[in-house]
Amino acid sequence: MTTPTGHRLPLLEDDGWSRRHVLQLLGMGALAACQPPREPILPYTVQPAGVVPGKPQFYATTMTLDGYATGLLVESHVGRPTKIEGNPDHPASLGATGLQHQASILDLYDPSRARLPRRREGPAGWETFVREFGPLLPGAGVPPPGEGLHFVLPPTTSPLAASLVDAVRTRYPRAAFHFHAPLYARAADEAARAAFGQVLATQRFFDRATRVLAIDADFLGTSPFGVRWSHDFAQRRRVHGPADDMNRLYVVESDLGLAGAIADHRLRARPSEVPLVFLAIARALVRGSPRAPDALRGALERLPADLPHAPWAEAAARDLLQHAGDCVVIVGDTQPAEVHVLAHALNDLLGNVGRTVAYTPTAIVEAGEASFGLEPLLAAMDARAVSTLVLLDVDPVRDAFADDRFGARMAQVPQTVCLSLRETATAKASRWFLPGTHWLESWGDARAFDGTLSLRQPLVRPLYGGHDALEVLAVFAGLADTNPWRLLRTLHQRTGAAPTDATWNAAVQRGLFPGTAFAEVAAAFRADAVAPAVNAMATRARPGGIEIALRPDPRLHDGTFAHNEWLLELPDPITRVSWDNPAHVSHATARRLDLHEGDVVEVRWNDRSLRIPVLPTEGVADDTLALTLGWGAWVARERDVVGTDAYPLRTRAAPWDLAGATVEPIERPRPVGGTERVRVELASGQPHIDMHDRPILLHDTLETFRNQPDFVRPHDDRRPSLYGAWTQHGPQWGMSIDLGTCTGCATCVIACQAENNIPTVGRIGTAKGRAMHWLRIDRYRLGTGEDDVQLLPQPMLCQHCEKAPCEYVCPVNATVHSPDGLNEMVYNRCIGTRFCSNNCPYKVRRFNFLEYNDYEAETPKMQKNPDVTVRARGVMEKCTYCVQRIRTAQIEARIERRELRDGEVRTACQAACPTGAIVFGQVSDPNSGVAALQGLPHSYAVLQHELGTEPRTRYLAHLRNENEEVPA
Amino acid sequence: MDTRAESAAYSKAVDEPSVLLTRAPDAVLTRRLLAPIWVGGITWKVLFLVTAGGTAIMALAIAYTVITGIGVWGNDIPVAWAYAITNFVWWIGIGHAGTFISAILLLLEQPWRTSINRFAEAMTLFAVLNAAMFPVLHLGRPWLAYWIFPYPSTMQVWPQFRSALPWDAAAISTYGTVSLIFWYLGLVPDLAAARDTAPTLLKRRLYGIFALGWRGSSAHWNHYRIAYGILGGLATPLVLSVHTVVSFDFAIAQLPGWHSTIFPPYFVAGAIYSGFAMVITLMVPIRRIFGLHEVITTRHLEAVAKMTLVTGSIVYYAYAVETFLAWYGGSEFEMYTMLKDRISGPYAWIVWIVYGINFVAPNLFWFRRIRRSAIALFAISIFINVAMWLERFFLIVTSLHRDFLPSSWRMYLPTFVDGAIILGTLFFFLFLFLLFLRFVPFVPISEVKELRHELAKEERELAERAKEAAHGR
Repeated sequence: MTTPTGHRLPLLEDDGWSRRHVLQLLGMGALAACQPPREPILPYTVQPAGVVPGKPQFYATTMTLDGYATGLLVESHVGRPTKIEGNPDHPASLGATGLQHQASILDLYDPSRARLPRRREGPAGWETFVREFGPLLPGAGVPPPGEGLHFVLPPTTSPLAASLVDAVRTRYPRAAFHFHAPLYARAADEAARAAFGQVLATQRFFDRATRVLAIDADFLGTSPFGVRWSHDFAQRRRVHGPADDMNRLYVVESDLGLAGAIADHRLRARPSEVPLVFLAIARALVRGSPRAPDALRGALERLPADLPHAPWAEAAARDLLQHAGDCVVIVGDTQPAEVHVLAHALNDLLGNVGRTVAYTPTAIVEAGEASFGLEPLLAAMDARAVSTLVLLDVDPVRDAFADDRFGARMAQVPQTVCLSLRETATAKASRWFLPGTHWLESWGDARAFDGTLSLRQPLVRPLYGGHDALEVLAVFAGLADTNPWRLLRTLHQRTGAAPTDATWNAAVQRGLFPGTAFAEVAAAFRADAVAPAVNAMATRARPGGIEIALRPDPRLHDGTFAHNEWLLELPDPITRVSWDNPAHVSHATARRLDLHEGDVVEVRWNDRSLRIPVLPTEGVADDTLALTLGWGAWVARERDVVGTDAYPLRTRAAPWDLAGATVEPIERPRPVGGTERVRVELASGQPHIDMHDRPILLHDTLETFRNQPDFVRPHDDRRPSLYGAWTQHGPQWGMSIDLGTCTGCATCVIACQAENNIPTVGRIGTAKGRAMHWLRIDRYRLGTGEDDVQLLPQPMLCQHCEKAPCEYVCPVNATVHSPDGLNEMVYNRCIGTRFCSNNCPYKVRRFNFLEYNDYEAETPKMQKNPDVTVRARGVMEKCTYCVQRIRTAQIEARIERRELRDGEVRTACQAACPTGAIVFGQVSDPNSGVAALQGLPHSYAVLQHELGTEPRTRYLAHLRNENEEVPA
Repeated sequence: MDTRAESAAYSKAVDEPSVLLTRAPDAVLTRRLLAPIWVGGITWKVLFLVTAGGTAIMALAIAYTVITGIGVWGNDIPVAWAYAITNFVWWIGIGHAGTFISAILLLLEQPWRTSINRFAEAMTLFAVLNAAMFPVLHLGRPWLAYWIFPYPSTMQVWPQFRSALPWDAAAISTYGTVSLIFWYLGLVPDLAAARDTAPTLLKRRLYGIFALGWRGSSAHWNHYRIAYGILGGLATPLVLSVHTVVSFDFAIAQLPGWHSTIFPPYFVAGAIYSGFAMVITLMVPIRRIFGLHEVITTRHLEAVAKMTLVTGSIVYYAYAVETFLAWYGGSEFEMYTMLKDRISGPYAWIVWIVYGINFVAPNLFWFRRIRRSAIALFAISIFINVAMWLERFFLIVTSLHRDFLPSSWRMYLPTFVDGAIILGTLFFFLFLFLLFLRFVPFVPISEVKELRHELAKEERELAERAKEAAHGR
């Protein structure tokens, strides 16, 4: 550990205290400075002579989720990373990001991160750790070195990690490595092995598919590849004119996901029903295709005749058959292997392989190996054969299967080492604990979904003095030099990826080694795999009772982000609930079971139980309770546990879908006698989803659009005005949001929060309606009924009205119009009458009811964007169209004596959007992208005709590509 | 014939209760009306302590709000205005009756204003003071409230005059100033009377300072009359303008239920209506406690009740018109707010309470027996006060909580701080009023004496004419 000035701080190494040390430590706390890494890191653009204060630089780096790399660019202000953008060169990003990528910057500065390494007895430094574990482990020398030494890592694609694993194995041949992540799709690997004889990754090219069938697959949402897939999917969904074609999406699922919410046809099915519906589709496909292999045909024809939802399935199948070769069948990671096998078979049958679907080697190290999962470790622990257990960046005590009883088993292991970003449950149970590093603090590498080798360069030295998992592996490997940068450099020199400094520097600058994507593998589908799969699907019992669907959380993923206030406060993209993960239940079932919003229920399944509030919500299958994983962490801000941890229900036998559960509301005695329901108030970001037939989110079918392209016109007409039009000089800014391609993933919301220093208000504040998001995702219910409805997203932000109702009511000129058409907010001038908010028809203004910024904690301040004012209490704020970005670009253009180029200014929301639904630019320039979009026939401004506000933000109406044959 | 009988005869002649029952000589009247300021009582002390305690609660709630931020209230987005603005409009409405009585009735030469104008004006002042707190308190940054005035800022920034809020600030401060001067000017002769009869030297000196050297010369009276008349003329349009401007705070916005041209007359009528209700609320107990039945007579009760009936009917008509126009205007947002949300939405119970009370209460005043019953008047006035507070509440909150985009619709729920502040201002109001009753002649002595002279003269003439007629026959 060193002080910010670089002096060594021997405190923790010596395990002793002195006045001098304490003062040094205090000084460090006061400074809490960001230090650049010692190794040379390289910005994405040309490196200037030195860092210019006030001028941010961008560094390419890589974040991994479930092992898969996403290339990112990180904005750094004088050594302080503040904002995450996508890396346009990286195949998993293409310039966009996902929710977790955007929010991850907050975790870097989280004051609740672990700081002190310790041995159970007390503080112990890294040097002590190296002294203890660097030499060959005692007792492990003869006869088999490494007997009883087990490592658990998250699934990784890192060549460096793989090489270090090999190095450890060289030293300890009997050491065992296991990989654990609760959401990792083991079933897909198993299915690939069954279908192709080897573990392969399936690549889907949604940009080539005109028809998509998603079976319980939220491929636009919770998938680790959601960013790229959303981008590709949008390529075929974007409609700019009546002549444009549009893809069609069929979704069968139990709980509403992002893809399901915008699907053209969605079927609600209980978890046990989903495979049966898929079988029905498969059978219809086989019946419609004469070339179908006999094995497949035979297996399907042997099924009982009455599969559920047959008319729906047959209509979908007919449509898929008509688009054989340019459709995709995708199955979610929550489905068992046999369902994946059937998907492979159908893609094969439809001739999609090689066109919209391809197979490559998997990027995951040791995927499919017998030792991959925790099972061998559990067996070894039971046999008391584990002497040292090293847990790196994993938390199996919390998120392993409940019946693994990992904590209890781990307690019997004599030596446990845990490295982690926080004091997790596993950390607390370990004898040795080392604080880990955030991915922005350490060197590393990883592969993207397609194999592209990506580099992770740190932007800061570990803020809290942590170490990387790679360093721990290097210590166990007995390496003298454990510096990950040198290890990485040497490795890629050796492998030939970066033989010279020039190639290395180029790769660091771009964040990846170009051309390292895996080649496609010509994999032959084994026809004999299909019959067992179909039989397994069909014989799955159709159980009664309540079925439980455990699902990844769209915000917290597997719980990795359970401490991230931005994600906790973000309304769930579907249910709009903040700061909680209530169990979703359909309205019909809620009525049947007499459950109301917020009722706390006892969920019982076999001998396991859970108490969780319920939320009757749209799109959930009847008799199903949908729970998301990853919640239930103790959050410092709330001084409370946030949400309900659903992992205790999850077992090895039933990792996702649990059948035969019971649900019982909890009663408690009332003080005045009798009993009452235990009920919690859920903090909803949007309590009302009915549009009341108001022309807010305009939508129609592709058919209508083709017949009447300007169907939105009646709601977009300018009304006659007594006043003349403004004469506009210079650039005029505007935005176009395509409701047709928006998935409502809410990445833009977090991007806006990160860019614009938007504070969080906590659970109570959110429940009161005081969340500060400048940009929010509204969801409106379409269709009649309660459960079989569509929930369409509409990003809502300041519309920058040319005739802004907020401006004329401000008594102190605190909100005014700029010559380039921005509705500006002058924080210093605002006295907080809130009249502007009252008069804003879009209710996009946000008020600092209290002091929401923490001026005490040192590190969270460092995330703040220095180009944006941090607002104090008592002032109004709202979307500025990222005016700081506009002005920066204008200044640069002026210095270079040129006009602004179209696309030079990208707002934070636009830059983050995976589907490119948001386009910003100069509406005054007829050649600009935004002007073209705003000129489309289905472009409209919300309530323009009704209120005459003349917004600069315009929307493209949502279009859906309905198949008339599908029964409603 | 004793004076009381004389007066009764006069009343009978005009078929109205008399505005003044006593015909006691000037000295007696002066002594009697000045008595409350020389002789205190245990009741006053107890009430004073209670109201001072309530005022302290208000002060604490305000301090908590200013130190922590208005997040301690229940406001949210979309309901960014609620209790504070409701209280503001309610108090400023109450502040209307005083000036109406003193100025407009002065110009209209209504003799019944005399006995009650002083305390009605005091009520106005205290109500305006209470009202004026809220536009400041409800600000996010109340210490910058002065930015709303067009003061000579070195930065040369001016208020934004298209907004109704600077008009509001101007209207209220003008109204407050004129009301204060008007009230004080009327007090001067009585303060001199207090000086002249003060029991101790200290009191004599204190009242002497406030009496501004009034000696009651003809020149004094001449100047006084002119100034009083001018101020009355100045105050008269203010009565109409202040609440008109307050109504613009809503009418210039485009929210359904606010954006309506009917608001100025609607608000002015509502203000006078609620103001007269508050006059009744204060007048009835004062009359009883201080035994002022001869000075504040049934005639006063009846006149005030009639005013309430008239203004209440206008208010009710306004309810009907705004609802009709919401339908007639055809705006779907307007129709939703007026015809659906108010009538059957989550705040409908408040709306129906208001519609109910404001219909029944004033219409009871068609009955002479109710008009002349102090108890009935008092009870009804309390109902009207509550209903008018609730009316402002639903007017503000129903338009805000469900406006244009249903995605932003939310409920408003007040907090304890909200409650403490409105209750606290009631105590503060009574606290100030108790101080007023104790230290200032609350019935205008000089005017009552003048009225007595005029009445006596009229009665004499009446009697003489009657005598002549009898002789002539």
